[in-house]
Amino acid sequence: MSTLEIKDLHVSVTDDENGEGQEILKGVNLTMSTGEIHAIMGPNGTGKSTLSQAIMGNSAYKVTQGDILLDGKSILELPVDERARLGLFLAMQYPAEIPGVTNVEFMRAAINSRRDKDDQIPVMDFIKKLESKQDILDMTDEMSERYLNEGFSGGEKKRNEILQLLMIEPKFAILDEIDSGLDIDALKVVSRGVNSMRGDNFGSLIITHYQRLLNYIVPDQVHVMMDGRIVKSGGPELAKKLEDEGYAGLRDDLHLDVKLTDEI
Amino acid sequence: MRANLIDKYKDDVTSFSQSKGEPDWYKKVRLDSLEKADELSLPKYEKINYRSWRLDRPGSIDNSSANEFDRKPQANNYIYQAGDQTISMNLEDELSKKGVILTDIFSAMKDYPELMQKYFMTKVTKTTDNKLTALNAAFLNSGAFLYVPRGVHLTKSIQAMFVQDNSIDRDFVHHVLIVAEADTEVTYLENLVSEGSGHKNKANIVVEVIAADNSRVHFSALDQLSKDTTTYLNRRGITGNNARLDWAIGFMNDGDVIGDFGTDLLGEGSHTEAKVVAITTGEQVQGIDTKVTNYGKHTIGHILQHGVILQKSTLTFNGVGHIVKGARGSDAQQESRVLMLSRKARGDANPILLIDENDVTAGHAASVGRVNEDQMYYLMSRGIDEKTAQRLVIRGFLSSVISEIPEKDVRASLTQMIERKLVYGQK
Repeated sequence: MSTLEIKDLHVSVTDDENGEGQEILKGVNLTMSTGEIHAIMGPNGTGKSTLSQAIMGNSAYKVTQGDILLDGKSILELPVDERARLGLFLAMQYPAEIPGVTNVEFMRAAINSRRDKDDQIPVMDFIKKLESKQDILDMTDEMSERYLNEGFSGGEKKRNEILQLLMIEPKFAILDEIDSGLDIDALKVVSRGVNSMRGDNFGSLIITHYQRLLNYIVPDQVHVMMDGRIVKSGGPELAKKLEDEGYAGLRDDLHLDVKLTDEI
Repeated sequence: MRANLIDKYKDDVTSFSQSKGEPDWYKKVRLDSLEKADELSLPKYEKINYRSWRLDRPGSIDNSSANEFDRKPQANNYIYQAGDQTISMNLEDELSKKGVILTDIFSAMKDYPELMQKYFMTKVTKTTDNKLTALNAAFLNSGAFLYVPRGVHLTKSIQAMFVQDNSIDRDFVHHVLIVAEADTEVTYLENLVSEGSGHKNKANIVVEVIAADNSRVHFSALDQLSKDTTTYLNRRGITGNNARLDWAIGFMNDGDVIGDFGTDLLGEGSHTEAKVVAITTGEQVQGIDTKVTNYGKHTIGHILQHGVILQKSTLTFNGVGHIVKGARGSDAQQESRVLMLSRKARGDANPILLIDENDVTAGHAASVGRVNEDQMYYLMSRGIDEKTAQRLVIRGFLSSVISEIPEKDVRASLTQMIERKLVYGQK
């Protein structure tokens, strides 16, 4: 079993206009283990994506206080690729497009980066694995032969993120709004992919606005973020309650003095 | 004061011409060019200074290479040369029956004097263009001739492998003439590669392409001259009415090279796409001047140049789009982009548009930048290490030219060449 611990995490980003740091995360605490699925919900602009980027190690996000530990060891000093090889994966909201590099080639490079130079994945094994994972996601060889995310629709990009997740098989996957822009059929397919990973050696942190996704990927725990902190945690029923009452309702229940970005 | 070229080299050039059994007309071209070379100047290119390379000081004309290399192209129709020797070549019977000619330049002078006298340095590049083109004609010591007669469409590519040998002390003075007569189609792939080591040599290479009316010519080149070879590489073409001439050039040399590329769009409605990718490493200097001139009405000239600069090297791209008066309805577009991977590298992308006609469209884009951070982050977030990720991003950046190359195995070898050069440049 592996654990991912986030301790009193404070994260700032630099404002493009005035060059000053702005604190987005103001002390996040969260512990999860493989075998568990956690969901983070919250209104726009509360720092959900910042949390995912900080865990992965995006250099645009500066950790000013606190720690992130994988199996008890701090990963703050590690570059992105080392974090990935230790078992972290981030399905991104806006995956980069890379022309000239095929999906297949990219996934092989990703898998081989985790293996010794003289023990690279045999081509046949790779193809078999790819075909079985493509089947789960209703994807075709055609998509895998295309250049990485280039010219992919929003839905195809999300599906492709999940395909990479299934191929790489990380310990912990953070899914950053994997449901945004998906129709109900695509949502089911993506959920089927994530659910196929469920097991003792896999944990996931699902970031979403909407409860809908959690009907298909039922979480063990739900956390609500507001204004850079986790303000409430609970079981799947918390998500349903939010769907009924909205974030403003919860904020008022908790007597929080937080302005919601989209509040009228 | 230095002795005149003509006084110094007249005897060498004459005896070399005799040793090749050349016809008198070409011996005269040599000596006339040698004489003119004294008065002509080196060609000038914006922001490329190569005076100190001494490309105008010839060495020995003798180019015999006794060495055998394992470089035979994998193609049905090919010519394979090392130095001035043609090691092997093949042209399918079906093609020779149709009148297609593929031969070395010396045989061409002897066997096809009418064609050679008509086209050799008379239509595209002239011996009088500059000092280096004159020297190319005077010191010519290897090369090839490809002729596609009217109405012939070649479905398979013609491949050429030209090996320049640095195990001996020899200039490589090379000339390729490609004539595609009216209503023809041909795909030609050229490999320039150095072998051997121990000597520093100069190369003077001129390639001429004539794409007559309604012809379609696709020219690809993979250039890998070594760091011991200092080169002037001139590849230019002309087009007839409604002809199409496309270039895809992979500039992967390790030495100092001047590339002078481009097309004169003479015929009405003709079209050229000139695509160049270049990588520079070490302390080498590569300067590439790609020029397309629209003479004919409704002509289209597009230039795309992408380059990557590593270590302490220098890469300069000039893109020149020139629309002359009278070329109404023409289009000149160009894009030159350079990626800098090192603070010690130097790079330049100069767009130059010269427009002398009103009823035209033209545009340019140029940039000197760094590797895209979002792409790097994405690749590394999957576990791929920084250097590998960088190479993948660069390959993407260069893909616009890679994908232009028609043969799959040639695309693969360009990809390998890029990988090799980048791995070397990342050290």
